Amino acid sequence: MTSTTAPPRRASRPAVAGRRTRRLARTGFIAALPFLAPALAAYLVFVVGPTVESIRLSFFEWSGFQGAPQEFVGVKNYVRIFTQDPVFWTAFSNTLVWVVLSLFIPLGLGLVLALALNRPLFGRNVFRSMFYIPGVLAPIAIANMWRWMYNPNYGVGVTLAELFNLPWLAEIQWLGDKNLALYSIFAAFVWQIAGTNMVLFLAGLQSVSPEHVEAARLDGANAWQVFWNVTFPALRPTTVVVLVLTIINSIKVFDLIVGMTGGGPAQGTQVLALWSFQQSFTNHEYGMGNAIATVLLVITLLIVVPYMVWTARQEKNS
Amino acid sequence: MSLSTVPPAAAVALEPGRPGLRRSRGGSKDYVRIGLWIALLLAVLIWSVPLVFMIFTSLKSEADIFGTPAFVPPWSPEWGNYVEAIDRGNLLGAGANSLIIAMFKVPIGLFISAAAAFALSRLRFKRQRLLMGVIALGAMVPIQVAIAPLFQVIMGLNLLSTHLGIILPYIAFGLPYQTFILYGFFRQIPEEIDESARMDGAGNWRLFFQIILPLSKPALAALFILDFVSTWNEYSIALALLQSQESWTIPLALQGFQSQFTSSYGPLNAFTIMSVFPVLIVYLMFQRYFVEGAFAGAVKG
Repeated sequence: MTSTTAPPRRASRPAVAGRRTRRLARTGFIAALPFLAPALAAYLVFVVGPTVESIRLSFFEWSGFQGAPQEFVGVKNYVRIFTQDPVFWTAFSNTLVWVVLSLFIPLGLGLVLALALNRPLFGRNVFRSMFYIPGVLAPIAIANMWRWMYNPNYGVGVTLAELFNLPWLAEIQWLGDKNLALYSIFAAFVWQIAGTNMVLFLAGLQSVSPEHVEAARLDGANAWQVFWNVTFPALRPTTVVVLVLTIINSIKVFDLIVGMTGGGPAQGTQVLALWSFQQSFTNHEYGMGNAIATVLLVITLLIVVPYMVWTARQEKNS
Repeated sequence: MSLSTVPPAAAVALEPGRPGLRRSRGGSKDYVRIGLWIALLLAVLIWSVPLVFMIFTSLKSEADIFGTPAFVPPWSPEWGNYVEAIDRGNLLGAGANSLIIAMFKVPIGLFISAAAAFALSRLRFKRQRLLMGVIALGAMVPIQVAIAPLFQVIMGLNLLSTHLGIILPYIAFGLPYQTFILYGFFRQIPEEIDESARMDGAGNWRLFFQIILPLSKPALAALFILDFVSTWNEYSIALALLQSQESWTIPLALQGFQSQFTSSYGPLNAFTIMSVFPVLIVYLMFQRYFVEGAFAGAVKG
């Protein structure tokens, strides 16, 4: 579309009103500028600028205090986080575990719920709502709810332990056990996000043609065959979107962890987004914090850019 | 959607189920359906445990919390927990901050996004698709990537702990997603409408204000509601930029209450309930925008 566009011209003057209808379609950048300027200004100052600055600062050593000197140290911050900072690798592997788990559990659950609730069932809208509601709540509120549920003295575990006479259940330190805490928080994440995935899949399911399903049934396909050969292929675009959204949301998980453990115990629930934040703001290691932020940025771009190019291609082909 | 904890609700308006699903001939299908229904009911019951647990606790006296099992309902509700949460947690002050911020952020941000989306979708200039791509990229990058330098920018402007100092970054971080969604929506409006408007002598501004915006009311309304929810819920930017307690928004106040009164379980749960109350009201009022996914974007791509 841009290839046929003439070089940017001035906005057409009222004097050339006669040619206006043909030319207004391609008014050029100057005419578009008043509409774009506020958005571009805000985007550049508060999003692009700080992101670039974060890359720059990752090559400096700085406490973050104004007036304190910024010392250029080359790639030293990166060497430090990769070789001398055990917390970085804990955070890295926790983030990775989080991403991989969320590609299976909340995504699969969302798909199953969508398939079940796409049928006419009594009370279907109530069901949908109940699964979806956690998705509109503030993650920090969810963190507080689940923290209370995991309370080692008065929480749900203790109550169930008494109810079913299972003393070992009362012993579990849901958020206090270094090896368990991450998965306990992840359960809250599943609770929060599964309904969202369900809604996305439900929207995708509307593009599955009932005629195709019917035809497959008449050909004697069973429920599984119908799903695998008809429904699932039609859901592919939706699945890609949900996959990408899931990965992005997992990479930046922050609020839930701050609210439930703050990264502890013993950094057991540390993740990249939080470790970057704490290095900059708590430990006043701006260089290290921004180096971690840059790593996070690179990982995100490696996932997002191919996806966006792919989407743009799809759009062109269609 | 850097700002949103709320998901991009989906594209198409969901039809209420496939019409005319055959009535099962044999009884076996009915059993499957009943089985499915019971399974879903059980799942919903499990899903509601955190909410029920929170509501029960918020209405129990300290003695009841420590003395009765968690799932025994609060037979004699202790409303004092709510009073205590409001008093000690500065709930009203934080609520006012959150409301003021949302009241400015949401309409202004939406308007700016709509203007940008208009230029990107209805005007023609070089490299506009690339520009859209660069803006959309901002929706995917985690906020935490930019947060430390952002803090420096706001400090440089002397706007830490002020309403303006959080409204501006909120607008900026909300732009990419909203512009992207509106871009998709505007492009579905037939070009002939533009042409005939221009024949009548309408310029860009009139086209934008009198034709494109009114035609996009459903998308704008949906984005307005979703954006209100994500602004209300936002935590990490606020954590960095709102340093003084008087400037705290609801999520910060909740977290502050939690760390200050760790074992006041009744008031803490009352606080949590009140903090999500506005969002729940908005959700219940505009349910179809959320669950039925009344607007386009993500899924349609």
